[in-house]
Amino acid sequence: MKGLFWAFLLAAGLTLVVGNPAQAQERSATRQGFELAPNSGKKILVFRPSISVGAQSTGGLFEPNGDWTDKARTNLQAALEKAQASLGNAVIAAPEAYGDDAQTLQEHLQLFAAVSDAVIKYQFFVGNRLPTKKRDNKHAVFDWSLGKGVADLPGAKDADYGLFLFTRDAYGSTGRKVLQVLAAFGPGLAVKSGQHEGYAGLVDLRTGDLLWLNADAAMGGDVRDAEGSEKRIHQLLEDFPGSTPPKAQPQGPAQAKP
Amino acid sequence: MIRRSTWWAAAAGLLLAGPAAAQPAALPPPYQGAYQPHGVDEIGLWHEADEEERQLAASPLRIRDERLTGYVTSVLCATVGDDRCGSVRVYVIRAPMFNASMTPNGTMRVYSGLLLRLRNEAELATVLGHEFGHYERRHTLAAFKERRSGTDAVAWMALLTSLGASYQTMQNFQNFQLAVYGGFFRHGRDQEREADKLGIAYLNRSSLRPQSATVVWQHMMAEAEASASAKGLKKPNFRYIAFAASHPPYAERAAYLAELAAPDGADRDDGTERYRAALAPFLAQFLDDQIKLNDFGASEYLIQNLATAGWTATLWLKRGDLYRTRGAPRDLAAAADFYAHAVQLDPTLAEAHRGLGLSLMKTGRPSEAVAPLQTYLRLRPDAVDAGMIQTIIPGGPQ
Repeated sequence: MKGLFWAFLLAAGLTLVVGNPAQAQERSATRQGFELAPNSGKKILVFRPSISVGAQSTGGLFEPNGDWTDKARTNLQAALEKAQASLGNAVIAAPEAYGDDAQTLQEHLQLFAAVSDAVIKYQFFVGNRLPTKKRDNKHAVFDWSLGKGVADLPGAKDADYGLFLFTRDAYGSTGRKVLQVLAAFGPGLAVKSGQHEGYAGLVDLRTGDLLWLNADAAMGGDVRDAEGSEKRIHQLLEDFPGSTPPKAQPQGPAQAKP
Repeated sequence: MIRRSTWWAAAAGLLLAGPAAAQPAALPPPYQGAYQPHGVDEIGLWHEADEEERQLAASPLRIRDERLTGYVTSVLCATVGDDRCGSVRVYVIRAPMFNASMTPNGTMRVYSGLLLRLRNEAELATVLGHEFGHYERRHTLAAFKERRSGTDAVAWMALLTSLGASYQTMQNFQNFQLAVYGGFFRHGRDQEREADKLGIAYLNRSSLRPQSATVVWQHMMAEAEASASAKGLKKPNFRYIAFAASHPPYAERAAYLAELAAPDGADRDDGTERYRAALAPFLAQFLDDQIKLNDFGASEYLIQNLATAGWTATLWLKRGDLYRTRGAPRDLAAAADFYAHAVQLDPTLAEAHRGLGLSLMKTGRPSEAVAPLQTYLRLRPDAVDAGMIQTIIPGGPQ
């Protein structure tokens, strides 16, 4: 009975505090029929990644940290350039956009975020999957698109594919870690400390079709340092079409560094 | 009992230790020079705000009109002073709601629905001064810190409660949680009051009429009443504070703003003419967006209110659109009448001819509808619906 009571308390009190219990939250998919041969001389345009890094307060609030975010941006950029060799294709950074171009770009960045969010919610992970998308999963169908408008994005004319990256990290604060330990030893509650999500997507710059998407709700690699960023980029681009098979490091199940 | 009370005492101890220590020394105000944020929290919030602003600058929701943005900025400068307003970037957003907001890094968003509802420069200054007050007093940072210490306390309390679980401790925990959340909302309302007071203080020192501040909220109450009465709802209570209310109630704001307005400012200019001239090019679009909210009472109130300075062709046209959109037969008869007024004032207003023709067609007067529809096609030969209008003119395409 007591166990049940605790479970009820957990639901009542810690809902705000505790996120979803960590499930297997790593998945990628490739559009049917899409293949990218290594060294095929294709050009990949990388759009400005969406990066935010902060801490997680004891109560579970995201505390943005400007310094960490800046570091992560630099580190991830460097790691991406380093990883380029293993991608087997040329990676170029999207040029700075002005005027109407900037508006179109902004709309497409938001559109990509909305589409990948839909893929992650309604096709990838258990919970909210739509019946039609479950059927797609059975037949290995991965059919999403941003529309032909991507062809007009700045820099799109000189490249074949567009790469979008997203990471969001909340590192558990000291208070959060203490709460985690006490909750585990006291009432035996599971409190999650830290949250590390990321996804990466490849889009055909002619048709707008989403060719590949990799999402991971529990990513590894500390983006605040160079080494961790390499690991993160490696995880983000895991199963990237056309990447050289022997991976940089052997990967166990995705494990977030606290 | 003893065991239980020990837990609560321990919890209280944690609560006291929880909140972050006070700021060590007074920081310069965020508007001074090229102020740079201090401390992890402020830097983090500014960083997030910078990222949002980067997106906002390229957002299709922005009204990219240098004259309008320049006008709003000039009113802000006239309110808070040139030394302060230089730290703010104003963005006018196309959204038909009464709202404006300010982020910690000095990004000011002004909604088109706000501009539509205000009547003069002094009223605009009331809102801009209020938003600047939030920025000046670092309200976002304070609210963030408070939410953090509050949720921290709830987390510890949840842990302690689950250790000494009983019906009573759980009840206590739930009360505690409600009290903490209620505190967030209450402090939020207190921040709004503080910003209101700063705003009116700026207005008192400016060259604009501070008595206009209270009028903003009087009109908001009148609009809410008009909206409720058109829907058949009972009159809203303008003094009631809901648990999760983000702002103080209208009546309270109207009352203290009236009280705080400097009496010697009553003869000052409120800038009605300048305001009307600046908004004139956007009035039709803003009214269009308002009509699409499907809030008949409020839209009719706003149009009537704008018309107190005299009916213009645009106002008649939009009133016609409002009635024709609701579309009951009696509305169409009224709409035809309003469009006729618009056409009379401005015979070149193509949309008014179109609306008139379509309303007459639907009220069983197709023969009268032919002339206005043909006029519409003559004035707008390239209109997207030209083909469709031609097919409904009796006698077929000409």
